[in-house]
Amino acid sequence: MAIMPNDFWSGWIIVITVTSLLGLAWLVLSIYLLRSGDDQLHEEPVWDENLQEGNTPAPLWWFWLILAMMVFSVVYLMLYPGLGSFQGAFQWSQGGQLAERQASYNAEFEPLEQQIVSSSYEALGSNELAMNTAAGIFEEHCSACHGIDARGQAGLFPSLSDGVWQWGGMPAQIEQSIRNGRNAAMVGWLSALGGEGQLQNVAEFVLSMSDGIDAAHPGKRYYDRFCIACHGPNGDGNPVLGAPRLNDDVWLYGDEIGSVRTTIIEGRMGQMPAFAETLDDQQIKLLTAWLLARNSAD
Amino acid sequence: MNALKLHRILEQNTGLLIFGILFISSIGGLVQILPSLNDETLSTPTMNTRVYDAVELTGRDIYIREGCHVCHSQQIRPLVAEVERYGPYSRSGEFVYDRPFLWGSKRTGPDLHRIGGKYSDQWHETHLLNPRAVVPESIMPAYPWLSERPASAAGDIQRKMQVLQSMGHPYSPEDINNAEAALQGLTEMEALIRYLQMLGTSFDASQADAPMEGM
Ligand code: HEC
Ligand code: HEC
Ligand code: HEC
Repeated sequence: MAIMPNDFWSGWIIVITVTSLLGLAWLVLSIYLLRSGDDQLHEEPVWDENLQEGNTPAPLWWFWLILAMMVFSVVYLMLYPGLGSFQGAFQWSQGGQLAERQASYNAEFEPLEQQIVSSSYEALGSNELAMNTAAGIFEEHCSACHGIDARGQAGLFPSLSDGVWQWGGMPAQIEQSIRNGRNAAMVGWLSALGGEGQLQNVAEFVLSMSDGIDAAHPGKRYYDRFCIACHGPNGDGNPVLGAPRLNDDVWLYGDEIGSVRTTIIEGRMGQMPAFAETLDDQQIKLLTAWLLARNSAD
Repeated sequence: MNALKLHRILEQNTGLLIFGILFISSIGGLVQILPSLNDETLSTPTMNTRVYDAVELTGRDIYIREGCHVCHSQQIRPLVAEVERYGPYSRSGEFVYDRPFLWGSKRTGPDLHRIGGKYSDQWHETHLLNPRAVVPESIMPAYPWLSERPASAAGDIQRKMQVLQSMGHPYSPEDINNAEAALQGLTEMEALIRYLQMLGTSFDASQADAPMEGM
């Protein structure tokens, strides 16, 4: 209730609150202080020979309890916001409290962050504390897609542990993938290819590329015409476009002819969200070091 | 006057007693509710907060129908742990076009107020069809029927927008006229994902002013 629309409502709250407190005080005090000699029992009718209504006050412990509560509320309203727009002696606010806690939280981790900034990726990779922290960040922010062990999942989200990097495996490239995200764009090629026969040929050719390029393969013609620009003449891929290497055994969307056909028919739009706003530079660096360490260990 | 005499008078006049009870019980409301109703800061949209478009509104209704709010809250509290995990805490002005609001109070699953943009559409689809496909230990139910039903079947969208308009949501006549066309060809799944992807995105942390804003 810190921001009041105007002084009227602030005054409204103050007047009603103070009046109720005073009214309550009067009620309680007058019952207990005046009780002796004034209970006018003689005016009450008598029922069934000896039943008579009385006005005996509640026990004394109750009196002390309500008095303590009233004192508490007065003290509270003096210290904390509550009485209209009056801020209270502590100048407390929810946002202020958060800012304060956030600052002490940041201060607590400041030395560690400095350490991360000044360490090399290799040094971080062999620092157990740093790697445990990175694993925790990965679990929280990345595992829903890349899998809890970073081995990819659902045939949609790539493994980050296989040493194969679609967008490049240099530290700067990995950081770029995390910070700004990646949007892969391969459109469908069915109509351009011209039909089912050609489609099947190209798909088979793509699958055969890991065994070396067969110049006589019936699919090669179409590959050279439509696919070379991104995937390269030998299927080496292109990290700038995020076009994956096709001449290895690592498949983003599966190694069956069916999934390769689906890729060519429907296209693929793999989307890696940007984390620039969620993670700070140190966290991104930690994650990169963690990924590099995982891949060199394998 | 002495309190016992007052007591006696009240006790002997039923009408007065009823009035007294009503008067005393209304004090809390007079102090808490009445000023809030007149507090413009609570009904002023925060930053880029806008009305839900036809598709998002449909997605929101599906969210309510499927009971997502039973397991997911939509309010991030101003605590360090929550802000670190979910993002900037929720501002009251972000909810001015939420009728009813979906703050929730139970978190069986994570808070969803800033879920927009966190995952790709593809992830949401995979997850809603079968949460275990992407989060092996998940206890969230699967919603396979969402991809089979057309979004236009989730209720009379124009009527909904008219009702909201009568409550002050700034829909233009074109918004309402084009509403049905906007839903054409979309499944409930797509509408729900559109809604999830815009949740919490109207707030720009870099523009946030004083920490007190909206509280
Ligand atoms: C919404 C799901 C999703 C989340 C969450 C996600 N990623 Fe990704 N990520 C992807 C997809 C999909 C790709 C592949 C993009 C493509 O098809 O080119 C990818 C690609 C990457 C790449 C590039 C891989 C390569 O081969 O070049 C890196 C590195 C990466 N992610 C790291 C991370 C990290 C670290 C996190 C957590 C901070 C994370 N991702 C969170 C979906 C996700
Ligand atoms: C405009 C550039 C471009 C062209 C042209 C292109 N691709 Fe792609 N291709 C990509 C990108 C980018 C991806 C990664 C998609 C993703 O990550 O979602 C990809 C992915 C693939 C994959 C999936 C690889 C895996 O690991 O699962 C196959 C198979 C493929 N392309 C085959 C082809 C064939 C065959 C052609 C020609 C008919 C072709 N591509 C033409 C850019 C292209
Ligand atoms: C029985 C309780 C329950 C219900 C009902 C439920 N969820 Fe969930 N949800 C969970 C749990 C638990 C998780 C965490 C595990 C996971 O990611 O699957 C979760 C996770 C999620 C996430 C990922 C959140 C994140 O930040 O990783 C989204 C998005 C989500 N739910 C959306 C929905 C939607 C939309 C509905 C309604 C169609 C729904 N949920 C209904 C329990 C539930």
